[in-house]
Amino acid sequence: MNKWLRHHRYALGVALRRLRQHPFSSLANIVVIALMLAVPILGAAVLQSSQPLARQLAVAPELTLFLQSDTPPAAQQALLARVRTEGGERIAQARLMPRDQAMAQLRADPTWARALDALPDNPLPDALIVTLRDSDSPARAAADLAQAWRQWPEIQEIQLDSEWVRRLESLLSFVRVGLGMLAGAVVIVVLATVFNTVRLQALTQREEIAVARLVGATEPFVRRPFLYLGALTGLAASLLALLLAWLALTPLNAILGGFARSYGVDWAIRLPAVPDLLLSGLLVALLGAIAARLSVTRRTRF
Amino acid sequence: MIEFQHVFKSFGRGRNILADVNFSIPPGEFVFVSGPSGAGKSTLLKLVGGLEPASRGAVTVNGHRIDRLSTRTLPYLRRTVGLILQDAHLLFDRSAFDNVMLPLAVLGLDRATATTRARAAMEKVGLRGKEDLSPIELSGGEQQRLAIARAIVGRPAILIADEPTANLDHDSATRIMDVFRDFNQVGVTTLIASHDTALMARYARRTLRIDAGRFEDVPGVPA
Repeated sequence: MNKWLRHHRYALGVALRRLRQHPFSSLANIVVIALMLAVPILGAAVLQSSQPLARQLAVAPELTLFLQSDTPPAAQQALLARVRTEGGERIAQARLMPRDQAMAQLRADPTWARALDALPDNPLPDALIVTLRDSDSPARAAADLAQAWRQWPEIQEIQLDSEWVRRLESLLSFVRVGLGMLAGAVVIVVLATVFNTVRLQALTQREEIAVARLVGATEPFVRRPFLYLGALTGLAASLLALLLAWLALTPLNAILGGFARSYGVDWAIRLPAVPDLLLSGLLVALLGAIAARLSVTRRTRF
Repeated sequence: MIEFQHVFKSFGRGRNILADVNFSIPPGEFVFVSGPSGAGKSTLLKLVGGLEPASRGAVTVNGHRIDRLSTRTLPYLRRTVGLILQDAHLLFDRSAFDNVMLPLAVLGLDRATATTRARAAMEKVGLRGKEDLSPIELSGGEQQRLAIARAIVGRPAILIADEPTANLDHDSATRIMDVFRDFNQVGVTTLIASHDTALMARYARRTLRIDAGRFEDVPGVPA
């Protein structure tokens, strides 16, 4: 083993010894960082678990054009042809949904069947259902077409069926930005906590530092154990945060799972993938080392 | 070799502790630095060890002008100088043996070599069998010898000791001085600050005397 490795092994040993010498303050710092880290881990878990759900539901935008009740079948067919012509390339499919067929579909659903029996006649209008092609901005294309078609006298109302998916995607984008900001706050908390911890450690170890300098220790030799201390604190906090997030997900999933099943969806919040978690743990360890490096400089006097 | 050329040292805007000090110590010499308390003995030793910079003049140690060394290279010079300060600066949170191991960890020696050298250094100063004790469990004389073991374990070319026998009984003082003499006999340049005239009478071959700003370089013990 060469000298470089021996110096690192020594520094790691010193860092571990310092952690052991102050178990309560070390653990307190680790817990503080872990609690801060657990929040974005849970947020990322919710975000990543929601994305497949949104993708599964985010079908190509669909417009339902409800026709005036007195529109004769011939006019309905003419409207269908006009929709296809004016929609052009933007339209993937357009079809007529006669009111009787719509009623029959509703009756097939046992939830609605008894309620519909109570009605004296069919209240549903005839409708044209238009599915748009997948494009860069299908929502905008749908909005443009809807605005144009609303002007037609035969159209009573237009419903954008994909609107709520767009809202969900907007909500997820909001969560994503919020998580980014939270991650920024976590970075600051990690830097500040480790900076303070290492500075206090350095103050308590000033005699050892003075002796090391006396016997010819270079500044990297003096600083290295503190870098390991910062990195170990970050790594331990990441592991604890992961454990806390996992523990929190167990009761949360029990409640959310039941809620999702009531909507016929099988959904649970899962932690991010192992490589992502490993990477985040290493990043936090690196942040700890950076904070330690900022805390103990050559100009730091003890 | 240690060389002072027109060296001045003052702290802040105060008077010069050392004023125009000139001397040269060839390798392998055994030199005492004497003078009353506050005369500047410790300051002179700290200049040699690179612990304090000179206000003016040139301090050369082992061929290196200390004022021209960068903060990166100064530690490498310190490794060639074994320093024993008035306060032994022992680490009480670890064993006596681990105190002696510290300079070897700095050098990056492998564990087996370091252990052998640390044991030899402790044996040399008469602390064999006390490796596992905390420094706080050692007597004043033993603590001083532990500081010497830590200073010599890196095999320095120069050994500097500031009042190493202060507050020690005669037997302990003699034992410590014998250790210094033994190292000097194998070629280690030795520079000891002391105001113990009896001790100097027994060991001194050359003395640098500082008193009230005056500096004298005299063979043997000053009158």
